Amino acid sequence: MPHQEAVTVSAAIRADRVERVADLLAGMSTQGAARNDVIPFADLDGVHFARLFVLPAASDLDGAEIPATLFYMCDVDAPTQRHLDVLAEQHGRGLDSVFGHCVGYPEGEVTTQLRVRFLGNHLVGSAATYIHTVGRSVDQVRAEHSLREVIEEVVDTPGAVLPTDSATQAVDRIRGAVLEREDFRWAARPPSGPGLAFRLREAAHMLLLIVVGLLLLPILLPLVVVLLVLVRRKERTDVPDTARPSAEHVRATEQHEDFGAQNPFTAVGLVKAGGVRRLTMRGVLFGLDFASRHIYRRDNLAGVRTIHFARWTPIDDGRRLVFVSNYDNSLDSYMDDFIDRLAWGLNAVFSNGAGWPRTRWLVLGGARDESAFKDYLRTHQVPTPVWYSAYDTLTARNVDANMARRQQLPRQLDEHAAADWLSGL
Amino acid sequence: MSVRLDLDDMQGLIARGYGKLPHAAYLLLQITEADPAREVLRGWAKDLTTADEEPDSAATNLALSSAGIAKLGGSPLLAGLSRQFGEGMVTPHRSRLLGDLGENDPAGWTWGGPGTDVVHVLLLIYSSDPTTLTARCDDLGSAPGLRLVRRLDTAPVTPTESFGFADGISQPWLEGLGPAPSGSDLVRAGEFVLGYPNEYDQLTPRPLLPDGLDVGRNGCYLVIRQLSQDVDGFWAYLDAAATGADGRLDLAQRDLLAAKMMGRWPSGAPLALAPEHDDPALATANDFGYGERDAHGMHCPVGAHVRRANPRDSLEPSPGTAESRRINRRHRLLRRGRAYGEPGTEQGLHFICLGGNLARQYEFVQHTWVNNPDFDGLFGEEDPVIGPRRCDDSRFTVPDTPVRRRVRELPQFVQVRGGGYFFLPGVRALSYLVREQP
Repeated sequence: MPHQEAVTVSAAIRADRVERVADLLAGMSTQGAARNDVIPFADLDGVHFARLFVLPAASDLDGAEIPATLFYMCDVDAPTQRHLDVLAEQHGRGLDSVFGHCVGYPEGEVTTQLRVRFLGNHLVGSAATYIHTVGRSVDQVRAEHSLREVIEEVVDTPGAVLPTDSATQAVDRIRGAVLEREDFRWAARPPSGPGLAFRLREAAHMLLLIVVGLLLLPILLPLVVVLLVLVRRKERTDVPDTARPSAEHVRATEQHEDFGAQNPFTAVGLVKAGGVRRLTMRGVLFGLDFASRHIYRRDNLAGVRTIHFARWTPIDDGRRLVFVSNYDNSLDSYMDDFIDRLAWGLNAVFSNGAGWPRTRWLVLGGARDESAFKDYLRTHQVPTPVWYSAYDTLTARNVDANMARRQQLPRQLDEHAAADWLSGL
Repeated sequence: MSVRLDLDDMQGLIARGYGKLPHAAYLLLQITEADPAREVLRGWAKDLTTADEEPDSAATNLALSSAGIAKLGGSPLLAGLSRQFGEGMVTPHRSRLLGDLGENDPAGWTWGGPGTDVVHVLLLIYSSDPTTLTARCDDLGSAPGLRLVRRLDTAPVTPTESFGFADGISQPWLEGLGPAPSGSDLVRAGEFVLGYPNEYDQLTPRPLLPDGLDVGRNGCYLVIRQLSQDVDGFWAYLDAAATGADGRLDLAQRDLLAAKMMGRWPSGAPLALAPEHDDPALATANDFGYGERDAHGMHCPVGAHVRRANPRDSLEPSPGTAESRRINRRHRLLRRGRAYGEPGTEQGLHFICLGGNLARQYEFVQHTWVNNPDFDGLFGEEDPVIGPRRCDDSRFTVPDTPVRRRVRELPQFVQVRGGGYFFLPGVRALSYLVREQP
């Protein structure tokens, strides 16, 4: 099974074309991301989530202008290059009409090769990414959901399970009936997980970082202490935003929300001035990436189980940070989860952003100020006009539950495990 | 944790549902002329029942919509009240959020919808006898400067709602109102009344006027929804579901399925404590959880109505713990609604709930719990009793051994017929709002 990668392509929009891009995305939005005429995302294999959005023209803390920028982001089954090739080959026209408004896009007769080169040249790396469960492909998610539906049908069939059955007997009967079906023979084997090469590379990465980390500890520790003290001094004078989001802004963002089980979140903010803040943010994002790659690589991010994919992407030479996620339920419930469970982590990253609610020692306070935090998030949110999900009726918990059922199916379960398996139906 | 509530300024509905006054009607009024209306409201403001009173013959409370506040010249107040309140219950996004689609589409509402008259004032009138109530409604509903848009009558108070189940058992208990009854959640006052610390130990944003007036204090938001209940359809569905191939109706099976859907038996006894049959001795039992004893819903299904509306200690990340209950307390509703109609006519509930934060309380409960097809790990289910049917095949799973049972293609039993967001101001704030203009 492939692992998953976060793809970001961004390009400045030509000043006279900003409105046309907005109109184009609005049209795609009306038709639906999955089946629109420009890039029907449902036709692209291996795409979990995808989005197109525009960051409007802005100015940085020094007043320098930043042009309006178009972003394409997706979470795909590796390799990224295959995805870009397919996009350029099979959806070349669509790509032309989206990115054709951007600075540097080839003009005249655009060949597949030129498109691939453009995409490659405009890839942007993320400082941290989060994947709900590493190594679970789109195909696997879908197959395991169809497996659940077949299991449920079997259970609904009169006489398939007898009222007097023990849990073990019931599971045996269900297994027998499911595996009898030609199209579900695959379920006799557990999922293969990410490939060996990927696993080795990840293990090596973790080991290397731990070793290097330990070796550098005598330098890192004092550095962290010094940074914290410097940050603490800045915290006293940093100015938190007090603006509430305007009704128009909220309407523009929430018109793309709450159609199904999941939602997109897209936000951008300026990083506070000075090396201390930049270094702190980079350091925290590095730690965050390490944690989500090696610790939270399965079914939760520090206890939060409603995020499918997320990424933290510095742009404009680190002057701004884009945060993007695909999450379950409404934005309000998402923000509540943040306050209740992840306030410290959010503070560590985003308090380096201009206007964040006041923190103490980097992780205290901040997002715990409910109304200030919620206003900040809404204010910095940008509309996500085009957003695609390959499994939009499933929450991350649903996907996990399906995988758990599949993993256990081939095994001989004792009575307790069998009862547990059945209780998830 | 102790707080002094300004009971003489808070409207009485915050402290009690006036159960001793069995007759009630809600008047939906429109302000036609601001000046005479202000004078009328000035008079009413003096007579409003406050939380320090325990009336045994009559009570009156008054709430305003955002349009009503604007009409009275209170726009500066609006800027300090919540965005949700300002926009009102009917916006395209909010209709998705609240499940007001299909049969519940506001386009078909009899009041509060896009095609109906704007409501500015909600007058809640309670009385110990029906004749006095009628007289007071006639009197108050014909005041100068105001026009009666609609009068919502209620059925005389009984312990049960229209489907026949005891209702209103689990209520949060406001800090500052004295010792909490056993089993009820003691919740910080600011969760329900503006101007006091909430469960985050913070003050919910409220309007503070430039002259230092705290006009939000002692006020709260009020949600009202007219929910029409298809009582015949509900029981006909259950009869059919419990009728065997031989055509015989199994009454015990029917009542069990009904109770599984509701999460409580008709007496009110919770399935969590009385899983097999009704037990009137447990009718008001409220001191229980799901997290430890009933995590998989073998007693009370995860999708049951009362478990969705108040999951107690059953939610992530640590079901069965104080932490889970603590999070639950941020999503409580103070319910003050009353049933309407009698058999043979349209029956239902004039649902009313109070809160300090519409987004985190009413809208969250409605969207993320009650109407959520994937609530707490479920797949494509909706509230079996009150939910709209948006899934192609709305299911309801009844956990059992060795395997669950489930019903499919569940019909819709409750239809939204009207609704709105209002603000129930403190008496001083109301008096300020309608004060004599210089």
